Amino acid sequence: MAPDLGNTQKWMQAVILHPGSDHQAVASPRARKLVPASEFPSLIRPSRTLDSFDRIGIYRGMYLARLQEALEADYPGLRHFLGPKRFSDLVRGYVDRYPSQSYTLNRLGDHLPKFIQSSPGIARKDFLYELARFELLMSRLFDAEESPVLTPEAIAAVPPECWETARLEPVAALSVQALRYPVGAYLEAVRQGKPRPSTRRKKHWAVVYRRQYALRWLDLSPAAYRLLHALVNGVPLGEALSGVLRRGRQPVGEVQLFSWFRGWVTEGLFQAVELDDPA
Amino acid sequence: MGRNRWNLPDLGFGIGLRTVHYSYILANHPPIDWFEILSENYMDTGGRPLYVLDQVAERYPVVLHGVSMSVGSTDPLNLDYLKKLKVLADRTRAHWVSDHLCWTGVSGINVHDLLPMPYTDESLRYTIERVKAVSEILERPLVLENPSTYLEFGTSTWSEVDFLSTLAQEADCGILLDVNNVYVSCFNHGLDPEAFIDRVPADRVVQYHLAGHTHKGTHILDTHSDHVIDEVWSLYRRSCQRTGGVATLLEWDENIPSFEVVHAEALKARRHRGLPETDHTRAYGT
Ligand SMILES: [Fe+2]
Repeated sequence: MAPDLGNTQKWMQAVILHPGSDHQAVASPRARKLVPASEFPSLIRPSRTLDSFDRIGIYRGMYLARLQEALEADYPGLRHFLGPKRFSDLVRGYVDRYPSQSYTLNRLGDHLPKFIQSSPGIARKDFLYELARFELLMSRLFDAEESPVLTPEAIAAVPPECWETARLEPVAALSVQALRYPVGAYLEAVRQGKPRPSTRRKKHWAVVYRRQYALRWLDLSPAAYRLLHALVNGVPLGEALSGVLRRGRQPVGEVQLFSWFRGWVTEGLFQAVELDDPA
Repeated sequence: MGRNRWNLPDLGFGIGLRTVHYSYILANHPPIDWFEILSENYMDTGGRPLYVLDQVAERYPVVLHGVSMSVGSTDPLNLDYLKKLKVLADRTRAHWVSDHLCWTGVSGINVHDLLPMPYTDESLRYTIERVKAVSEILERPLVLENPSTYLEFGTSTWSEVDFLSTLAQEADCGILLDVNNVYVSCFNHGLDPEAFIDRVPADRVVQYHLAGHTHKGTHILDTHSDHVIDEVWSLYRRSCQRTGGVATLLEWDENIPSFEVVHAEALKARRHRGLPETDHTRAYGT
């Protein structure tokens, strides 16, 4: 009996998604359950020049090519590090495990860092995991809501006695990161077509953010990281500052703190100062 | 001959808005009639794409064109998607919203391709109801495009053009006639593209697509990667005689050349419509 619309679609999708050859895809148990292999040539008509396998093969080939192109756009660093063959193998394994479930290809790569982490036998897994996580973060920040930026006037309007308990609201497109590998430098080199920099383990700290619709990052010292991390997580300014003054191995002078703070405000990392309700 | 049944305007000759042209457009405000926007690229972003879109929609007429509605799929309609699509259409004051007569996935998966429908009574009845439901949610008529297809189902009892025409009439939707897709599908299936063009109900056509393609010898791929070929221009002229000419859009998606080259390709359509040269067509030498 001819398959109805629903079964025709389920069958065609099963054939498209199958990782083997065109013949293996049509003969796979999932496809055969919906359309027996013997009925395949009458379900997909041959053309003057192509047989039924060739014709469904066009859709199968385009499927993987399209998803690979989308992931290449989101993960240029990963693609660069792995090279075309290993990247392509990674994509095949990934889309088999995590086929797209969204109307937008922008979400296709959401599970790629997790997939890398859980895949056995990937060389340099720790580095690749962090690189993938960083590239995913860049995609998210690229699409984050645009926020207003805190102005010098708004800062000047805060009564001095209110700073102690004030909280700073970061812009939406911002993330403070503690990293184990120089993934930012790696991506920058890829983008500029420069020689591959070192990928050796190197602990460092950075804030990644968007300014005038362009993604940027600033390297941070451990103390600056602690302060900014506290601030973007809503810790009141006084508490965040004394935390840094207290905890660091090397004392941080007040002058240094204010210079960081001014720099961050100038860079547009914050959108508002929230003051305690006087009532 | 005459206007389409909703009196949707002839917007002139536009091109698809593409990332590589953002800076040029913002810096130069080129004198182009209109832009077509790929809906999905702007639905979930608060970043630069949306900023650029707002600038473009401020200055130019726009139309939304999607690839993920999956109107022919047996999965439930994605209401979240349709809601966002409506918000975007309202935000940009889009003249209409289009997608394709196709399905893009089933069982919750998206293949991200314009997959062909079996042209059966069952799928026609089903798609009519789906199109009606979508139009109600979007609160405007839906416009559907004929996709390029690479296979035919043995179960089909309708031709593509009669299926599309009946769907448009029964579900009261518009047609975005992609002339290149007519050429591509007819080549792939050994059909007569002129006969296809002649059977499209002229009063349903609200927009044309024109594009280049890639000829693989045994079949043609709809790659939007080149200039429009003469045979497609000839089909366009033939269709314009029936529709009186409607909003026309040039698609270029692979190896995208400069804005001027893409715009010049779109403006060639003026000549095929028998319209006089403009300062721009002269400048581009089209
Ligand atoms: Fe098209």
